[in-house]
Amino acid sequence: MGVMRIGHISIKVMDMAEALKHYQNVIGMKVTHTDAGGNVYLKCWDEWDKYSVILTPSNQAGFNHVAYKVTDDFALVRLAQKVRDYGIEVEELPAGTLPDCGRMVKFNMPSGHEMRLFAEKDILGTDVGSTNPDPWPDDMRGAGAHWLDHCLLVCEMDPERGVNTLVDNKHFFIKALNFFETEQVVVGPNGSIQIACFLSHSSKPHDIAFVAGPTSGLHHLSFFLDSWHDILKAADVMAKNRTRIDVAPTRHGITRGETIYFFDPSGNRNETFAGLGYQAQRDKPLITWTEDQVGRAIFYHTGSLVESFTTVYT
Amino acid sequence: MHAVLLAETSEEYLCGSAETLLAGMVRLGRKCIPVGCVNGGCGVCKVAIVKGSVRKCGLMSRVHVSEEEESHGVLLACRATPMSEIELKVIGKMKKIIW
Repeated sequence: MGVMRIGHISIKVMDMAEALKHYQNVIGMKVTHTDAGGNVYLKCWDEWDKYSVILTPSNQAGFNHVAYKVTDDFALVRLAQKVRDYGIEVEELPAGTLPDCGRMVKFNMPSGHEMRLFAEKDILGTDVGSTNPDPWPDDMRGAGAHWLDHCLLVCEMDPERGVNTLVDNKHFFIKALNFFETEQVVVGPNGSIQIACFLSHSSKPHDIAFVAGPTSGLHHLSFFLDSWHDILKAADVMAKNRTRIDVAPTRHGITRGETIYFFDPSGNRNETFAGLGYQAQRDKPLITWTEDQVGRAIFYHTGSLVESFTTVYT
Repeated sequence: MHAVLLAETSEEYLCGSAETLLAGMVRLGRKCIPVGCVNGGCGVCKVAIVKGSVRKCGLMSRVHVSEEEESHGVLLACRATPMSEIELKVIGKMKKIIW
């Protein structure tokens, strides 16, 4: 009993009208709520909770917070205590702080990213319902993403100062939140510096991931698709909508995921991701990617890195 | 079409007045200005207009271009179309983040 999955992510957008076109027409989400502050809440067709993405109007792009849903209020109380015991300050937010969401506990990861946990959110149901459901709804738009799958956060690292908040985050997620590590990328003498970390709390290869960078930020938020063919169709949708594609359809060595990277109209990177790769289990040996194979770890076919992918984030 | 000249490297390309400085370069497969999100958010295509006039199109992240900078002709190449021959200096750069 504990964390179940990513519940929602809140990000900043500069032009709400353009952002809504993107998240509805390209990703295929639906707007389920708009609040008095102009924040817009959206869900994917296969999600049952009321929203998984919150767009907040801003003069910049980037990350606000990520929230994970836990099994019940008991788990929320227990996890909040574990976070406190780890030495991280916790703030309690009453129900209704976010619309249609129960009480939340709020804290900062060692990397500085704001994280929240909650146990309850209004349930709208999936677009195919729960009684004799069809496999997909008739009014699917764009890529028709099933659900928000995970996010990849850039964590501050400065080897000269001995700072590696990616490793700090890893320890925190494993010890306080009971995640387990599925894959890692290591570099430097004897692979002594970890620069990427993939963590799961389910049977998916990752529920959150971290990479190291000079400042903390958002690398991407990722949406799940069923198959390689859905990835191709998603790329067609992006071309039709003139979406800026960062990395055209390919496969990762890490997680075996099939992927496209692209940018929303404010420059926040998105991914559509297919194939759950393998079943992640707590006793599965940790997969390690070494510095000489880092190209294939990221882009398995070409084995070469894409400059914008490894240098650009919000 | 307007000529776009990069002051420091003497590279030059032709860009239409209906496309952004960055889109015109990308269309030709050129790489003289760093290319990131192409949507005004990431800041890697930051340039200073040295000569010529441009028209702003779309919003730029204030993290990367302040109002003060913008008033001095500093902007993101993905958010400006050329109105004349342009000479510019690249300010943005790819900060190697991960590998």
